[in-house]
Amino acid sequence: MRLLLTGAAYQLRLLRRSPGDLIALATTPLLTVVFLAVVEHNGRPDLAVNAVLAPALIALWGMSLLIAGDMIDAERATGTFEVLVATPARLWPLFTGRVLVVTVVSLLGLVESWLVATVVFGVPLRVAHPGLFAVTLLATVLAMSGHAGVMTSLFVLSRSARIFQNSLSFPFYVLGGVLVPVALLPAFLRPVSTVVFLSWSADLLRDSLRPAAPDSPVLRVGMVLGLGAAGAALSWWLLSVVLRRARRTGSIALGG
Amino acid sequence: MVSTWWRVGRASAANAFADLVVIYTPASWVFGWLVRVLAQVAFYALIGTLLESPAQQRFLLVGGAVTVMVTEVLLVCASTAWERQAGTLPLLVVAPVSMVPVFLGRSVQWIPSALATSSIALFALGPVFGVGWTVGTALLAWAVLVLTCLATYLFGFAVSMLVLGFIELRNLVGAVVTAITTAISGAVVPVDFWPAGVRFVAHLLPATYGLDALHRLSREEITFTILSNAGLLVLVGVGWLGIGASLLAALVGLGRRRGTLEFP
Amino acid sequence: MTESPCIEIEGLTRTFSHRIFLARRPITGTIALDHVNLIVEYGEVHGLLGPNGAGKTTLCKILATILLPTAGTVTVCGSDVVTDPRAVRRRIGIVLGGDRGLYGRLTARQNLRHWGALYGLHGTALRSRIDELTERFGLTTRQHDRVETFSRGMKQRVHLARGLIADPELLLLDEPTDGLDPVAATEFRALVGQLRAEGRTILLTTHNMAEAEQVCDRVSFIDNGTILDADPATLSALVSRYERIDALGVTEPTRARVSTIAGVERVEDLPDGYVRFHATDRPAATAVLRALVDAEVTRIRNSEPSLEEIYLHLMGGQRGMRVD
Repeated sequence: MRLLLTGAAYQLRLLRRSPGDLIALATTPLLTVVFLAVVEHNGRPDLAVNAVLAPALIALWGMSLLIAGDMIDAERATGTFEVLVATPARLWPLFTGRVLVVTVVSLLGLVESWLVATVVFGVPLRVAHPGLFAVTLLATVLAMSGHAGVMTSLFVLSRSARIFQNSLSFPFYVLGGVLVPVALLPAFLRPVSTVVFLSWSADLLRDSLRPAAPDSPVLRVGMVLGLGAAGAALSWWLLSVVLRRARRTGSIALGG
Repeated sequence: MVSTWWRVGRASAANAFADLVVIYTPASWVFGWLVRVLAQVAFYALIGTLLESPAQQRFLLVGGAVTVMVTEVLLVCASTAWERQAGTLPLLVVAPVSMVPVFLGRSVQWIPSALATSSIALFALGPVFGVGWTVGTALLAWAVLVLTCLATYLFGFAVSMLVLGFIELRNLVGAVVTAITTAISGAVVPVDFWPAGVRFVAHLLPATYGLDALHRLSREEITFTILSNAGLLVLVGVGWLGIGASLLAALVGLGRRRGTLEFP
Repeated sequence: MTESPCIEIEGLTRTFSHRIFLARRPITGTIALDHVNLIVEYGEVHGLLGPNGAGKTTLCKILATILLPTAGTVTVCGSDVVTDPRAVRRRIGIVLGGDRGLYGRLTARQNLRHWGALYGLHGTALRSRIDELTERFGLTTRQHDRVETFSRGMKQRVHLARGLIADPELLLLDEPTDGLDPVAATEFRALVGQLRAEGRTILLTTHNMAEAEQVCDRVSFIDNGTILDADPATLSALVSRYERIDALGVTEPTRARVSTIAGVERVEDLPDGYVRFHATDRPAATAVLRALVDAEVTRIRNSEPSLEEIYLHLMGGQRGMRVD
């Protein structure tokens, strides 16, 4: 637990000094403007909820994966990764703490898009089910951290995985139903989107903002947490592979 | 002068393509970049599905295709910053020819890539979302797309000259300018949606003219406006080239006075 | 009528001011160059020697037209760097030390082609020029390899080839061996030696004494923005002024007696057991020699001081350990 906090504090200091990492937060308000403009132009105030949540979820996903994916590479560039490996500390909590901070900070995107909606467009947003909203948000942060941790190690293990970093954005915004619910996607995509935790989070968050009583909320929050736990387990395993390789070969890049 | 510019630009383009082959392999371009780009266009077109409006679906698909083209062309901000990071700026200043063709050549790698992805989006993904093309409208649309791409590249050149002074902001500036273009140039809502001030800014962006023409062509509306839009694209592009060249001259002048043209 | 010199600097001053954000007037700050005068003739390899931060690079930047002087006039190959920078640029080549300034992802040959185009070369002329330079600098076998795969020494050869691509009248070398390993640095100096032999005008800045001594015809010392003794006559006077005589087996009384001779500045014990007498001029040195011979000291050696010693002599008093 102390390692988790150490990692978190370190990451927080790092973020304050690297404005480049906050790009996602710079474009979030503009993206909110884009989506709300479409909704307003088409006279569909009922979809404002979608338009406000989408940029926030995009910021959460984009920023977490970007920074987490660079984490070990950045340590290697400064030559500190070898030093970390040499310490007796367990590194998984350390990196998880760092990823958690990034995820929490990226939630600022939600604040931004909320502000744009109320200040620029005068769209009033009311949280109909605050309890569900808070629980879903918490579960989403945890699940996001679990998944981002996967990227931390995956990119180090395989150069070719890194090349596909680009495709981690929009394909998942579609599959995760961040703006358009997955129910509207072609049927063949639905099985895939079921295992993307974002699709459960996005639906739950939208439901919690709408007055209608949400359908089986406990089960759905459970899905978010379950998928998150699977991601966390995978990230733990991948990091242990990275560390074993580092100790055995003195280098962690697989090449290829 | 034209032949010197051409030769310098071509030499600089060698650099651009050397960067491109490091960034992508053919496989990663197709399965990484192209997939991402098509997903982005589909993401926008699907908003039309959400709105239950086939017309909006078509409008947003065309908008999405131009948006991804702008996104990629504005990577010129990043690749211009790489030139400064290479430490070659003082050496370029010392060389007896203008630096404008150097920078114009330096980022051309994005043009073929952006044209390829946006063409596939318009002509292959388009029909999936109900955008029908005839041979005539498709050819005209492609010509407009090429013009829009080139004019946007010149606009990107001017923006990247600002970035040259603040290279740590290279990715931020590219992303913000792209997002603004998406919002106001008629990619997601007609330009008329916005108040006068915003409309004025929109008309400084090449994408606005290209989008107007492409939306018309996607509705099989072949009018004189398309030709006038093409003319305006050329005009706006040349205007931005002039602004970019002046910014570069100002940057070098300022650097010579203040001593900010660093030796490596 | 005599030919005008290649570089003519008169009263050159450059100050750097720090501007505070939104402040209307800049705050006048450091003086990088202070009324510098310097003349470099055609065909001369001129060393500009000084510690880091002495103003060498500032001077080089002004000569290369990428920095404007605050005051004074600078003429390079007959053209003024302020009023006619383009004419200057056509006549100079520039090579920088350090790791940057080349395109890592391009091959050596592609780099040279790029810079050749910037100097207006093309076609057969460019190709044969590149062939000639790659051959000359031992790059032929690796000309098609990406520069990022090169060692520092190899990169520096590409830099030199790049600087010479347009056959410039004047070559500016700013700390060209900075960061090179000793073997690569020696190789690089040998290449500069070849250029000197063919009579090319070169201005070389360095903080390395041995380098200046090895490759330069003339040396100017620069420190705190001031040039010390650019005049070769004064410099050679300086060299002869500081003479030292080393002797072995000097008894205490002899040592005491010799050290009182007028013109003996300092006495020092060397690690090899010799005692070194520093004389400020030749008559004093002669007097020391005579006194030592009179005292029947037989193991005597006499040598002129190295540039390093002169350098420390000139700078050491004010700068202490700044020489690095």
